[in-house]
Amino acid sequence: MEKVLFIDLTERKVWSEEKGELFKKFLGGSGVAINLLHELCPEKEDPFSPENPIIFAVGPLLGVYPSCTKTIAMFKSPLTGNLGESHAGGRFGTALRCAGYGAVVIKGVSAEPVYLDIYDNDKVLFKRAASFLGLPPRRIIDYLKREDVLGLESVIATGLASEKFVAFAGVIVDKHFYFGRLGLGTIFGAKNLKAIRITSDGKIPIKNVDEYKILYDEIYEKIVKTDAMAKYHNLGTPQNVHSLNEIRGLPTRNFLSGYFEEAETISGEYFADNILLRKMPCSHCPIGCKHVALVKEQFAAQHELEVLELPYDYEPIYSLGSNLGVSDTVGVLKLISTCDLYGLDAMITGNLLAWVTEAFMRNLVTEKETLGLKPKWGYYETYIKMIENIVKMPNSFYASLAMGKVPVKEGESFYMTIGGNGVAGYHTGLAQVLGTAIGARHSHVSNAGYSLDQKYLGKELPPEEIVDTLITEEQKRCILESCGVCLFARRVYDLELISKALNPLGWNYSADELREIGKEIYRLKFKFKFREGFQFETLHIPERFFETPSANGLISKKKFFKALNYAAKRIKELAEIPVVEKK
Amino acid sequence: MPIKIRVDHPDRCMGCYNCVFACSRELYGVISKRFSAIQVHDSKTSNTFLIRVCVGCTDPDCANACPYEALKPRPEGGVELVNPDKCKKCEDRPCIPACPVNALPWDPINKKPIICTECGECAKYCPHEVIFYGEVIEATPSPI
Repeated sequence: MEKVLFIDLTERKVWSEEKGELFKKFLGGSGVAINLLHELCPEKEDPFSPENPIIFAVGPLLGVYPSCTKTIAMFKSPLTGNLGESHAGGRFGTALRCAGYGAVVIKGVSAEPVYLDIYDNDKVLFKRAASFLGLPPRRIIDYLKREDVLGLESVIATGLASEKFVAFAGVIVDKHFYFGRLGLGTIFGAKNLKAIRITSDGKIPIKNVDEYKILYDEIYEKIVKTDAMAKYHNLGTPQNVHSLNEIRGLPTRNFLSGYFEEAETISGEYFADNILLRKMPCSHCPIGCKHVALVKEQFAAQHELEVLELPYDYEPIYSLGSNLGVSDTVGVLKLISTCDLYGLDAMITGNLLAWVTEAFMRNLVTEKETLGLKPKWGYYETYIKMIENIVKMPNSFYASLAMGKVPVKEGESFYMTIGGNGVAGYHTGLAQVLGTAIGARHSHVSNAGYSLDQKYLGKELPPEEIVDTLITEEQKRCILESCGVCLFARRVYDLELISKALNPLGWNYSADELREIGKEIYRLKFKFKFREGFQFETLHIPERFFETPSANGLISKKKFFKALNYAAKRIKELAEIPVVEKK
Repeated sequence: MPIKIRVDHPDRCMGCYNCVFACSRELYGVISKRFSAIQVHDSKTSNTFLIRVCVGCTDPDCANACPYEALKPRPEGGVELVNPDKCKKCEDRPCIPACPVNALPWDPINKKPIICTECGECAKYCPHEVIFYGEVIEATPSPI
């Protein structure tokens, strides 16, 4: 696993390097990726430059233990102009590991559209992909997947949004999984890279098989037979819809409220009872958190049916459902489907559409800009047309949205992004806003502030305690990400178990040593962010967060900024950046 | 009655590969799809899977096709490799295409077919009880 595969699209050159020391020091995943990003991405480089590398990295537990499935992608984000980090499951990581690659680095730009066909032993074919231009990513995956292939195969693909350089284009993995966030698909587009197929006839070796099998059984029992992951298996992440709505933390109509009165028909329970077709897991995960819906629509008389099979999760249900006032079950799925059709990050797409709707209602945006479209809460057909316009950019208004920017200065106070990234579906309280603000990738899963808010619902924690808890959590998560553990399995894989699990594989680290590695990875992520110009002082925090009650009531702006200032000071110290005290 | 594995509920399969990796773990002590006697293939046209594993037939086509008698039928069904040296020298590998279920993958490194030992590990780790392991009277199609 200590081999890094390098692919230069400009020169069409392929080589590999053994990086044993790097993997020994940083395990894999985000630890290895952040080191490679520091080394390979030139300082202050334009994200669209050929020099901006795409790095995929996997960890030592990935593919070996149940629910260890996540590949980490790192790059400089075209959306935020800073650290780009996106995680995806599916079979991609296991295929990389079977093929013997701990990481893959893609540099340069291809002169023509290509897809990469990757095999074991550094075999990489550059194949023409002109035929794939404009096609939906899922169809490209269908074209590239081969039935009856004996090896482990995984295909990832981009869509039109990537070709058009929409700043938040994603990459679809094996049809049901996503590198959704921060514009990895955009960087694919900038490199003229349409898709990657990896096929491995190889194997992941286990050093001490007997010891491994005993531990495997212990972990498997915990995952399958306890309630540690029951939520993900049963309703999947959409279970959040009702539970958040009950505590008034479900973002509704651009966070104007934390309660959606029509939540029933977009709830996890409703989806599961009425529209769930089946569950889909990543390879080597018995959970199947990905829930796939089946929608049948009659398109002509005599029972002519169009059948849509589509994965759904909580985040797109929030961003394209409650946050747009859409309660039509099929309507939400059609919006998710439209994002998938073009290969867009459904989360920030929803944030943008919610902003447009509110700006339109306030006359900050008119039909002149929207090209005659009249956005209105709940009217999903209009939103479908708007998504098309965001991708195709018929005027400067939509072109601005496609860059993830709102073109009206006075509307920024209700544009729900932090650090340039669209916020997740939790209006739970201060910890969630803070966690997103101080998370290295401005994602809710960086440090799970939403979870802290819910754990201490109705109780006030001191700002410093919130910050310290979030930082410790993020540092710990750096280890999970580096080992390949899915964050949904975090209740099973604590650092003690990870330490034990690494042992039969020949990796000997105590939980304390792992904790220290986590701190170092965290430090390097922020070192990169500061290197690229990140400033806590100029961070965009929408006023809206302080205007509408969260699950924990109105968030005190004073307390928030006190916490943010404390966090900024602590993180700068942790990243070894000189702290200049304000006079 | 012989103990066998049988794919009882293929339509419950999620494609998690737990069975595939349980097999490679048992047979080779590794995680691999290529080195597993049970194969799970995606269907392109729907979110379903085709599971290929030895059905344990009593008059195995693979053994019949072997020109060296390297594969010997087991009394309880299925086959065992009794003459690996002869197997190694075989270039045509007629046993592989002989199986109509296509449930005999070839091990390209050790140059032998990857034979299901009917150990039941695949069934043990299937989270949806797609695969049955136990006493089998006769093959029955799976009821819905």
